[in-house]
Amino acid sequence: MDQKDNKKSQNAKRGGRGGGRGGGRGGLHSQKKEAILDLAKYLNKKINVKFSGGREVVGVLKGYDPLQNLVLDECEEFLKIRDEENNTTQEESSRKLGLIVCRSTAIILLCPIDGMEEIDNPFVQKSE
Amino acid sequence: MLPLGLLNASAGQPMMVELKSGESYNGHLVNCDNWMNINLKDVICTSADGDRFWKISEAYIRGSVIKYLRIPEEVLDKVKEKSANNSSNNNERTSQRGGRGGQRGGRRGGSSRN
Repeated sequence: MDQKDNKKSQNAKRGGRGGGRGGGRGGLHSQKKEAILDLAKYLNKKINVKFSGGREVVGVLKGYDPLQNLVLDECEEFLKIRDEENNTTQEESSRKLGLIVCRSTAIILLCPIDGMEEIDNPFVQKSE
Repeated sequence: MLPLGLLNASAGQPMMVELKSGESYNGHLVNCDNWMNINLKDVICTSADGDRFWKISEAYIRGSVIKYLRIPEEVLDKVKEKSANNSSNNNERTSQRGGRGGQRGGRRGGSSRN
């Protein structure tokens, strides 16, 4: 109770400004600017998601929210073995995760599986 | 010139984005926001060791994991145009509410002379 009251009185003192600012920011950024990626076009499509920390999964996008938390179904994680000597990573195996929720803040990369393929070095011809 | 201003002006341009992990993504910028989250299309992904390559139709990259972006020089001209427009707009705006800034400067100058 005391804490709450303190907060209230603080807010009242410097109130107008802080409140106004917060409102403005919320309106500008989290609403409009948040959606540079239209996830609707990936609904029920297979997408590849990389997480901070190095994990990588592929799953069917079943849902999302304005913060870009995701729901993936039939999800499969691709496990990587890190070779510290050569400083390389290699995909070794995968494991099934099923239905998962991905937290938005952990997602560092998102791309559709459709049209994704491993190719030979495309930069060789250019430099020659 | 602001970093995000430059990035905003590079929409549609080809660019190379290197992530903190060392992976790099070459593609055309579709879109970006104030967090430097970016949307690329027609992407070629290069693994951190530079040995493997993937073609990806489009990719969304979180701004906080970007190490740097390489942007074509031509964008500079665009930015100059844009910033010229913006600054003229800004001037109009500041002249509207300008009294404040001007007065302040004047007062300051006066007091230092005294």
